[in-house]
Amino acid sequence: MAKKISPARHGIFLILASLALTTLYPLGYVLITAFRSLHDYAKNPYGLPDAYSLENFTLLFKNYGLGLAARNTILVVGLSLLISLSFSSIAGYALAKYDFPGSKAINISFVAVMLLPSQILIIPIYLLLSKIQLVGHLPGLMFVYIATNIPFGVFFLKATFKGIPDPIIEAARIDGAGFFKTFFLIALPNSIAGLTTIALLQFLGMWNELLYAYLLLPDQTQRLLTPALASIGGRFVSNQPLVAAALCITAGPTLVLLAMSSRFLVRGVTGGIGSS
Amino acid sequence: MTQSVAPLSDLKRSGRGVSKKGSLTRQNNRIGLLATLPAFLVVACLLFLPICYAVGISFYKTDGVTFKFIWLKNYLSIFTSPIVHQVFVTNLKFLIAIPFVILLATLCSVLLYEKIFGWKFFRVVFFLPTVLSTSVIGLMFRSAFSFEGPVNAGLAKLHHAPINFFSSGNTAIFVVLLALIWSGFGYASIILLAGLMAIDPDIFSAAEVDGAGWWQKVRFITVPSIRGQLAFVAIINILYTFTSLFGFIFVMTAGGPLYSTTTLDYLIFQKAFSSNDMGQGSALAILVFGIISALTLTQSRYLTGKARD
Repeated sequence: MAKKISPARHGIFLILASLALTTLYPLGYVLITAFRSLHDYAKNPYGLPDAYSLENFTLLFKNYGLGLAARNTILVVGLSLLISLSFSSIAGYALAKYDFPGSKAINISFVAVMLLPSQILIIPIYLLLSKIQLVGHLPGLMFVYIATNIPFGVFFLKATFKGIPDPIIEAARIDGAGFFKTFFLIALPNSIAGLTTIALLQFLGMWNELLYAYLLLPDQTQRLLTPALASIGGRFVSNQPLVAAALCITAGPTLVLLAMSSRFLVRGVTGGIGSS
Repeated sequence: MTQSVAPLSDLKRSGRGVSKKGSLTRQNNRIGLLATLPAFLVVACLLFLPICYAVGISFYKTDGVTFKFIWLKNYLSIFTSPIVHQVFVTNLKFLIAIPFVILLATLCSVLLYEKIFGWKFFRVVFFLPTVLSTSVIGLMFRSAFSFEGPVNAGLAKLHHAPINFFSSGNTAIFVVLLALIWSGFGYASIILLAGLMAIDPDIFSAAEVDGAGWWQKVRFITVPSIRGQLAFVAIINILYTFTSLFGFIFVMTAGGPLYSTTTLDYLIFQKAFSSNDMGQGSALAILVFGIISALTLTQSRYLTGKARD
């Protein structure tokens, strides 16, 4: 059916466009401000800059250690994601396709802690980690990220693996393929979309996390990006361009990721009850 | 994608598999259990154990180093503390954002559903704030509304005196509410749109044949059909208001002026890590968790309705 172009459709377009503008304008404003010098910004905050400069970015990397923070963040988020996804995909596959005693109880225990808010965990986790001297060390935070991401990961991937037809796996099993062979050769290759979605959701969750990252890595040299951004924002309230540049560095990767993979993300948030 | 399935000729050997079925099942049991073990152990050590520990220390007066058992005193002092009452009311004030989020999201999703030119682009644009950290959003708004920020620069152009938004409770709450609405309606729109797309288009055609106008269709078909999604969005946002405002408050107001923008989750953080009262912090965390669990369970009807797809 060909779409008719009526005045009503123009109206709809206009409303949506103006709503989109309220989302895009602040982001564009921050992006442009990040590439201005403070002097240039002060002359005319709303106009386009006379000259674009990278000085805010070089300042942040040289003097405020954002390079190190970016490195730490990539390390912590990357490793935690890898480990949490490995554990949750293997567990999710077992729960989806193997019927073993205790599977129900294990499944329920994952679901029960899926929506646990971080503020109930932060105090005991801080105390327990400081007891084993892991506060102030990257692995301590990694453990927390791995643990907090596993329950939803298992829940999501269990549902994903359930979608693979049983006969395919049965046939391979009869041929003598064991758990890991069916997992690597059948389950994983047939679930690329689901794996991508959960990886993206969990990446965003860890990258954007503030409370654990701030409290479990109190040392300046161990800072991750989000807490580093928060402290720069607190110290340089009146230097808008500098804060804007820090915002770009922190938010940039997540926005690029969304631009590249919006299909998976939109499916991810509408598919499960997920808001991870 | 079934290339990895064994070729048919191999199925002849299947007899062997069947004869060994008993041992296979036993082996499967063991492997299934072993496969869930790493995930389960991590969760047990870093989620179950800490929760029990949190319940335990909520009965102690402790700064994390010395522990003194004080029965239910932490809970009692929370119930009688005027600050906690004030903070709870502040939390309720932040709920004001939710009707706006839902209204905007309904508008957006109904318009997106018309699939006009560029609707997929708009959908991604509305989704943008969802991938941003609360600290990023919070700092954007704090910068924008700071005394020397662009909003005051705009007011100056209109010959209006600059407003110090973060010096009074009400204006500070207003800015946080704006941030909540700005960052919240996109996610809600996507959820509602998914609900709309599940509606059978024939219902709309039938209504059109009967002479229903656009508004009547929205009022009598669209909104009733997505009641489940609307409820889901409302609950998620309520939970969010009680558990996830920390990032916003931390970078925007640090809870101030005084306690006027302190939320429950921020108060837990303050009690435990600024006043070093880990016991009372835990007690408050458990109470908040109790509130939101009760909320979730009473509304779980809607949640399970959503989980079906």
